[in-house]
Amino acid sequence: MRIKTSREKRILILKTAVRWILYYIVIFAGFIFMTSGTLKKPVILIPIALCISVGNNQLASAATGAICGFLIDISCGKLFGYNAVVLTAFCILISLVFELYLKNKFINVLIATAAVSFISGWLDYKFYYEMWNYENVEIIFREVTLPVWLYTVVSSVFVFLIIKLINHFLMPREHLTIEEVINNIKQNG
Amino acid sequence: MREFFKSTRFKILLGFLAFLVGIMVFAVTKGGYSVSGASIINTVTKPFRKVSNSISMKIERTLDKVTNATEYYNENQRLKQQIGELNNQLTEYKAMKEEVEELRKFVMIKEEHEDLIISQPCDVLGYVTNDPFKSFTIDKGSADGIGLHCPVATAEGLVGITVEVSEHVSTVRTILSPDLSIAAVSSESGSTDYGIIEGSILESTEGMTRLIHLDIENRLKVGDLMITTGTSGIFPKDYSIGTVTKVALDSNGLSAYAEIEPCVDIGRLSSVIVITDFDGKREEADED
Repeated sequence: MRIKTSREKRILILKTAVRWILYYIVIFAGFIFMTSGTLKKPVILIPIALCISVGNNQLASAATGAICGFLIDISCGKLFGYNAVVLTAFCILISLVFELYLKNKFINVLIATAAVSFISGWLDYKFYYEMWNYENVEIIFREVTLPVWLYTVVSSVFVFLIIKLINHFLMPREHLTIEEVINNIKQNG
Repeated sequence: MREFFKSTRFKILLGFLAFLVGIMVFAVTKGGYSVSGASIINTVTKPFRKVSNSISMKIERTLDKVTNATEYYNENQRLKQQIGELNNQLTEYKAMKEEVEELRKFVMIKEEHEDLIISQPCDVLGYVTNDPFKSFTIDKGSADGIGLHCPVATAEGLVGITVEVSEHVSTVRTILSPDLSIAAVSSESGSTDYGIIEGSILESTEGMTRLIHLDIENRLKVGDLMITTGTSGIFPKDYSIGTVTKVALDSNGLSAYAEIEPCVDIGRLSSVIVITDFDGKREEADED
């Protein structure tokens, strides 16, 4: 985005600040949701981290992935830092892939969430259950890992809409003059 | 993509990832005590989690009533019949039970086990997300005198053990977990019928646990109460764990096992106490 006036600059800073505050409110709400009740729940912080990463640069995505990962570690009682490492790596990757190759469309985000949450769940199952040779360990995969993965994918629909809404109003957009638009149209044929 | 891998940004991200791995390794070395980052998050989010959990529990209870209405009706009929049969024997006990409130239950623990030093009643902040063994967090931590590997119980029986302690929040591993082993003996048939209470995945789905390494010629029967032996120095002696619901031969044919229904409904706890000290407690060598 090209900044033309100091007023535009002020608006950009304000919008960015508000946008990130809203992102972190969503993250906090997701964490509280995950730590409440006794039923199986989606790991909603995964789609939240990914949806935020899709629209932002790699450094911001890495920070978001780390924070969401730490919160998942706390709510799921995992080794502090384990999910942070996994989710940070995925958030950087997703941010990069969406910047270079994919469009920010719902179906792409849904596929990305499905893939990342499945890998995350599978790693969790491998490291926390299967590796320790518990008897009937496959029950955990069937009764916990798969349903939680499914719930996470479904929850990504709502998360995508919320983040899309925030981005719609607060994501900075490129300002072009009429001449620039005409030139762009001419160049693109 | 190639440009990205050559950029300074990529090097910064790699450095950040290495830093996160460092935190993870540091967390491993803490041996159950929360790293300060987790401790701060736990402390800050504690009131929100408490409120949100109480709302969730109410919603879940309401949903439970609606979805399992038929089951509850049938169960109610069956229980009514049972109550009728047992009414004469239990009149006195029932009257007393109705009067007992939560705090009085905890006083009873002290009366029954004079050697126990117990914490203040701890509220359950919430269950660990998607944990099949029902681990949960409580609203008391090291600042309240709670240490690592302290037994957690209610007046009805043993619940588990603290496995992670931060200043104001602790995580409890329950007796449904295969990672917790407790030496247990039958209170009914004497000290000959003993074994190890250890959770299993199969039983934990129904809120049950398992008694393993039982003598093949044991005299256990359905309804027998299993209590702690206290030999490990981790759990106090003679504390109720659960009742036997089934005794069967192990798959190896050399020993028997029993399914145990915990005295406490572990999936629906609202408050517990932590036993911070008792006669015969083993002092952990690796503790500071």
